[in-house]
Amino acid sequence: MRVRSTALAAAALGTALLLAGCTSGGGSPSGASSTPVAGGTLRYASGDAEPTCLDPHVGGNYPQALVASQYLEPLVGRDASGAIIPWLATSWTTSPDGLSWDFTLKDGVTFHDGTPFDAAAVRANVLQILDPATKSSTGYLALAKVADVEVVDRLHARFHLSAPDAALLESLSQPWTAMESPAGMARGVDANCLQPYGTGPFEVSEWVHQDHITLTRYDGYASPPADAAHQGPAYLDSILWRFIPDAATRYAALQSGEVDIIDNAQPDTVAQAQQNPSAGIVALQAPRPGASNRIEFNGGQGPFTDQRVREAFIRAVDVDAGVKSLFFGTAPRSYSPLSSVEPDAYSAPDDFPYDPAAAAKLLDEAGWTPGPDGIRVKDGQRLVLRFPVSTNQSIPAEQSLFQQFQASAKQAGFDVQISLLDLSSWYAALAAHEYDLVSAPYTKVGPDVLRILYDTEGITPAPSGYFANLAQVSIPELDQLLSQASATLDPAQRAQLYQQAQKIILDQARILPLYDQQNNFLYRSDVHGVRALATVSTPTFLDAWVSKGS
Amino acid sequence: MGVPWRAVLWRAVGGLIVLWAAATATFFAIRAVPGDPAQAVLGGPGSQAGPEALAQVRAEYGFDQPLWMQYLRTLGRLASGELGTSYSLHRPVAAVIGEQLGGTLLLAVLALLVAWVLALAWLLATTRTRGPWNTLGSGVELVAAALPEFWLAAVLIVVFSSTLHWLPGLSDNTAGGLALPVLALAIPLAGFLAQTMRGSMMDSLTAPYSLSARARGERSTGLRLRHSIRHAAAPGIALSGWAFGYLIGGSVVIETIFARPGLGRTLYNAVTIRDVPLVTGIVLVSAAAYVLVTVLAEIVGGLVDPRPGRAAA
Repeated sequence: MRVRSTALAAAALGTALLLAGCTSGGGSPSGASSTPVAGGTLRYASGDAEPTCLDPHVGGNYPQALVASQYLEPLVGRDASGAIIPWLATSWTTSPDGLSWDFTLKDGVTFHDGTPFDAAAVRANVLQILDPATKSSTGYLALAKVADVEVVDRLHARFHLSAPDAALLESLSQPWTAMESPAGMARGVDANCLQPYGTGPFEVSEWVHQDHITLTRYDGYASPPADAAHQGPAYLDSILWRFIPDAATRYAALQSGEVDIIDNAQPDTVAQAQQNPSAGIVALQAPRPGASNRIEFNGGQGPFTDQRVREAFIRAVDVDAGVKSLFFGTAPRSYSPLSSVEPDAYSAPDDFPYDPAAAAKLLDEAGWTPGPDGIRVKDGQRLVLRFPVSTNQSIPAEQSLFQQFQASAKQAGFDVQISLLDLSSWYAALAAHEYDLVSAPYTKVGPDVLRILYDTEGITPAPSGYFANLAQVSIPELDQLLSQASATLDPAQRAQLYQQAQKIILDQARILPLYDQQNNFLYRSDVHGVRALATVSTPTFLDAWVSKGS
Repeated sequence: MGVPWRAVLWRAVGGLIVLWAAATATFFAIRAVPGDPAQAVLGGPGSQAGPEALAQVRAEYGFDQPLWMQYLRTLGRLASGELGTSYSLHRPVAAVIGEQLGGTLLLAVLALLVAWVLALAWLLATTRTRGPWNTLGSGVELVAAALPEFWLAAVLIVVFSSTLHWLPGLSDNTAGGLALPVLALAIPLAGFLAQTMRGSMMDSLTAPYSLSARARGERSTGLRLRHSIRHAAAPGIALSGWAFGYLIGGSVVIETIFARPGLGRTLYNAVTIRDVPLVTGIVLVSAAAYVLVTVLAEIVGGLVDPRPGRAAA
C-alpha cells in the first residue's frame, strides 16, 4: 500500500533529520528589523491535498479553505477571544424573532475582476451555495436555515431565515461561505473553479496542476478585517503556493530554504523549532475550532452500548503518557468535546483518570469475564472493538498513539482491532457501521458543532451514507438543549446551554477527548507578520513580509 | 534479418489484450473497493452534499445503472478513443494526462538511461574472471536491487539537500531538480540490470572468441567493451520493457516524495478519491507505454544480438 510506504519514508526521514537538523538553519535573529518591507515572494508549501476546485463553495473541504483564505473574504471574522468582528460587513442587527438579519456592507470594495461588492453580490453568493448544481456540501449545511437574501439597497442585505439560527454569524465567518464576484460565478462552476474572483489581498493568477498556484497582490485591496495590523494592500508581491504531500520532504525544503513556510508540520519538527529558536525556524500552533480530536464510542451497537464498558475503556488507556511522548509536548491534553479555542468549551479533567484496576472492576460488573487468552468474554462473545483509522486524517504520531491504546487496552481485556484505511474506505466503513471506536475530526466555527455531532438527527445518514453522530448518541434531554441553544441569541444563555450539553456527553462517557485538532505551521525567521485567522485557523498573509539579506 | 518481426507482431496483438484487460481490471477493482465514486464528483470522500445534488450526480454519471451496463458503456467509450471526463477535476482525462505525461516520461526515460550507464560501468569495473571482484560486484548489485525507492529517496534528500545543500529536494525539470528522483529510481534498477547481465558477461569473457581475441593481443578493457557487452546486453535489453513498467510504477512514490508533478502522483490522488475515469485513463496510457517499450526492446534486442532463438526470451 503506497500510503504506508510514504508514511514509513516520512518516519525514516524524520529521524534522520533530527540528526541533520543541527547542521542547517542559521537564519538571522528575529527582531533585527521591525519595519515591514514591501515586495518579494513568499513560498508556501502545503501538505494538504491539492484542491480539485479553487472555489470553496463547491464541495467545501479544508484544503480549499487554506488557499481560499488568501483570495476570498467572508462577511464577518472572529478575533482571538472568539468574538465575531466586522469584515466585509461592518455591522448587523437581528429581528426580535431571530428570523431576519440585516447586514450593512463595507463601501468601496471591489472584486478582483472589477465587479463592485454590494448587497446583490451577497445574494448571488448565498443562492449559488444553496443551488444543488453547485454541489456545495459544507457551505450548503452552514446556510441550511437561510431561505433567501433580500437586497434592501446597495449596501444593505437582509437574510430571511426559515428558523432562528444563533450560529449564523459563525457560519458566515467560514471560508466556505466567503464572497465571490457574481460575474465570476456567472461563468459557470467549472470556469469559476479554476480562478474565482474574490476581494482578498491576493488574487489567483496561475494554477499549474499538481505543482503550484501563483497568487499575486491585489492592488485594489480595501477590505482588511477589523483585527488586521495594517490598512491597504499586502506587502508581499506574490505567494507561490506549492503542494508537497510528503511531510519529510516539506520539512527538508524549509530547512534548505527552498520554501519559506510549511503547514502540517509534524510534532517532532515543531518541538525542535520551539526548543531551538536559534535554528531560524519559528513554529505557529493554531488549533482548529469546533470539536476537539476525540475518540468516539459507538453507543448504537456492540459492547459500548453499556456505559460501564465505555468507562472501563477510558480508564484502561494512558492517554497523557502517550500524548506526551509521541507529540513531544506540542499537543496539550483536552478534556472537552470542544476545541480549546471555543469560548464555550466545558472541560472535565477529573472524568478521565488512568486507572486499570477501576477498568477491571467495571468490566467485571458489566459481566465481561477474563477468557483463556486474557481477552474478556461475555455470553460466548469476545470483547472485540473495531477501530478504523484514516491514514489521511491521523498523522503518524496519532496512529502510534492508537497503537499504544491498543496495547494497554489489551491488558484490561479489550481486543482492539485497528485497521488503517484510505479516506474513501474509511468513510465506507463508517457508513456501514463497521466500527466500535473512531476518531473523526470535525472543523466548524462555534459550539453549534455539538448539534451536528450529537443530536439524534445526526444518526440518520445523508444520501451519501455520511452521518456525523458517530457516537450514535440519542438523548432526548441533549437534543432539547442543543436545539434550544441554536435558537438562543443571548450569548450568556447560549453558553450555559452548550455547557450543560457537554456535561451530559462527558458524564455518560460518550467520548474520550485527546487534544485539539492540530494545525501546525513552521516558517523561516526572516518571515514576519504571519498569523492564523481565528475562524478555521487558516493562515493569512495580508500583514506578512520578508526581511531581506538573511 | 535482425528484427524478429513475428515476435514483434505477437507482442502487438498481446498488447491490445493487455490494454483491454487493464481497462477491465481497473474498472472492476476500483468499483469493488469501498468508496462511492459519486462523492469524487461532489468534492471528495465524506461529502455531505444534499439529496438533490447527489441524485443529480448519480443520474448524470449513470451511477444508478447496473454495474455491467456501466462497464459496457465505459468500454465502448474507451474503444472509440474517448477517455472521458475526470470526476474530481471536471476536466477531460486526455487533457489531464497530456499535461502530466511529459514529466513522468522524462523521469522514466532518464532513470532507464542512468540505470544502464550505472549498470554497464559497474560491470566493466567489476567483472573479472579472477579474484574477489566478481563476488563483491554481485553483492553490491543485490543490495542496490533490494533498496526500496522511498527509503533511498529519503536518504538522498537528507544527504544532498538538507545536509550538504548541493541539490534541491523539490524536483523540477532542471538538471539539478531531476538528479535526486532519477537516482532514487535508477540505483535499484541498475542493480537489477547488472545482476541480470553479469552471468552472460562472465560467459562471454570465458567464451572461445574471447580467448582468441586475447590471443590476438586485445587488452582486457577493450575486450569487455567490444565483445562482451554486446552479448551481455541481451538479457538487459529484454528486461528493459519490464524495467519501464517498474519505473512508471515507481513514479507514484517518487513523484509524491519529491513533490514532482506527473502521472504517478495524479494516479495516487485519483485512486484515493475513486476517480474512475482518471484512474482508467492513466492505467491505459501506462499499459500502452509498457507495451510499446516491450516491442521496442524486442526490436533493439534483435539488432544487438542477432542469434536466432533469443527472441523467445
